[in-house]
Amino acid sequence: MIKFWNKRVKHGVLTENIELDRELEKIKKEIQDSVKKKFAGSLAIRMVDSGSCNACEAECNALANPYYDLERLGIYFVASPRHADVMLLSGIMTFNMTPHAKEAYEQIPAPKWVISLGDCPAMQAPFEKTYAINAPAENHLPITHHIAGCPPSPLEIMQGLLEFLRKI
Amino acid sequence: MRLIARYAKELQNDFEIITVYEETIEKELVSKEQPKIKTLAKKYPAAIWFERKMHDDFGIIVEDAFDKRPLVQQERFPKDIHPLRKDFTNTQLEETEYIPYKYEAISGDGVFQVAVGPIHAGIIEPGHFQFSQAGEDMLHLEVRHFYKNRGIEKMLEGKTLREAKPVIERTSGNESIAYQICWRDIYLQASQQELPLALKKRHALLLELERVIHHLTDLGFIPNDAGFGAALAYGSKLAEDARRKMKELTGHRFGFGAIDFENHFIDTATFSEWLHELEESIEFFEDWIMDIPSLWDRFDTTGILSLKKALKYNTVGVVARASGLSLDRRINSFYLEHGFIMASEVSGDVGARFKVRLQEVKNSITMMQHFLEEDTSTLELSSIHDGSYHTFTESSIGELFMAIDIKDGVIERFFVRDPSFMNWQALHLMMRSDIIADFPLINKSCDLSYAGNDL
Ligand code: SF4
Repeated sequence: MIKFWNKRVKHGVLTENIELDRELEKIKKEIQDSVKKKFAGSLAIRMVDSGSCNACEAECNALANPYYDLERLGIYFVASPRHADVMLLSGIMTFNMTPHAKEAYEQIPAPKWVISLGDCPAMQAPFEKTYAINAPAENHLPITHHIAGCPPSPLEIMQGLLEFLRKI
Repeated sequence: MRLIARYAKELQNDFEIITVYEETIEKELVSKEQPKIKTLAKKYPAAIWFERKMHDDFGIIVEDAFDKRPLVQQERFPKDIHPLRKDFTNTQLEETEYIPYKYEAISGDGVFQVAVGPIHAGIIEPGHFQFSQAGEDMLHLEVRHFYKNRGIEKMLEGKTLREAKPVIERTSGNESIAYQICWRDIYLQASQQELPLALKKRHALLLELERVIHHLTDLGFIPNDAGFGAALAYGSKLAEDARRKMKELTGHRFGFGAIDFENHFIDTATFSEWLHELEESIEFFEDWIMDIPSLWDRFDTTGILSLKKALKYNTVGVVARASGLSLDRRINSFYLEHGFIMASEVSGDVGARFKVRLQEVKNSITMMQHFLEEDTSTLELSSIHDGSYHTFTESSIGELFMAIDIKDGVIERFFVRDPSFMNWQALHLMMRSDIIADFPLINKSCDLSYAGNDL
């Protein structure tokens, strides 16, 4: 344990390359400010995977790593739709998931928004339509904002969240 | 004999039932009018899912099966539709009346049922777990999946191997490189060509990098699920660094599109330096984590899968190796020459699976050093021959099996058995002496794919 604290004291905060750092800092600051203004400092997101390849989720998980540290800005992924302001929808809206995704949306208290994440919900990923797919998601849910990419990188997700915050 | 896969293929007048074992492949014809087969589940419990899937996909009846519930098709799926049949071409289904699924359940005084999913708390793929509980004790668990079924097998029919590639590499995002390597092997078999050594090394390097990313993420998440968040910060930082390396090497953070027949330039000096740093970081991590008794209190003896059961249920990958099974598709001269050492633990618990991952990360670093090479050779591909091809790759989760039939230059039948398909079926065996609060930890220690399982 001593070794750990030594290392902790020696290295402190993680820095990236300077240019990326500046960009990230700018985005982070703006996100924090608008979350403060529009969501009283705390924006709760309910993640719903409607049939992804899991890369989109992996990038959302990466948002919590020490480089991006999204929670510090007041954005939280919550365990229940009843605690959420926003539904972040990934995946291709499979036939099997459609009723569950719709139900999760119902459970979110108003006012509420849906942000679609990645190319899948927009039926833009390289999948072709089969019996098992109901995408595009906009046929089933009201989508306020879309974050494109296959998958969008953590930075792109942050940019997308910022655009959403500017929009509403 | 070890059961690897069992699936069906539609011919002119018959169905061909293909059963893949460790040493042999058995084929059986049944007529389309009377598509009846006998179950293998009495000898191989893991055959159940394969057989239930075969019924959903093709309408093949498993006469003496003790479980005839649908597997892939869910409550609102139209009845009597078998979408993998060639004459099924509908691409839009209507939801039908809700027919409840009968979960396996233990009943008795004070025993109650807990249903979890399909949407879970947190950022995680959808699936369903149904527990029979006596107080905190888990008496039984049924795993029910296929919420993510995208119909990939059907989607790829009629496509060339090239056209199929972008879909195949997105079957399971965590195992994209492994899926692409299976695709590559089949392409090579069908064009009757050999891969130049330099390309083989590049691909193997990427596969190990993918494994390292996956394991590092888990090495953070497993302690996190036991309440030790600092490990997640450390593990996820290392995983992010590795993911950025993947982007540097392939232009994509998950390596989508990375496996091709051209060698690309690698700055070997910088990469090798990074490997050294990673090695030091992982040694530090090991020292640190091994020294926290409260964590090992949670890890040791939690979620035990005995060797006997690991064998009986034909488990693969990290799960099998943590229970003392020496099973890894990398045991071959190519990998051995480049430093492969089989990871192995015997206690079969969460701690063992954690330690197997640690060993494998260290071994992958060594192998990646050996795979590094500056080379720009390419392979000119010749044309594809029709035929039935299959191959195996050791993905970060375990043995991945892919079979592709090519007819008139396009895919006639595409079949994949993700390692998760075997291991999910063994998950319920791991929680016999644990309480429900241990479930997330046990589940995480296996870290199986939903997407690859559901197809
Ligand atoms: S958008 Fe791309 S990365 Fe995201 S789930 Fe779909 S296939 Fe995977």
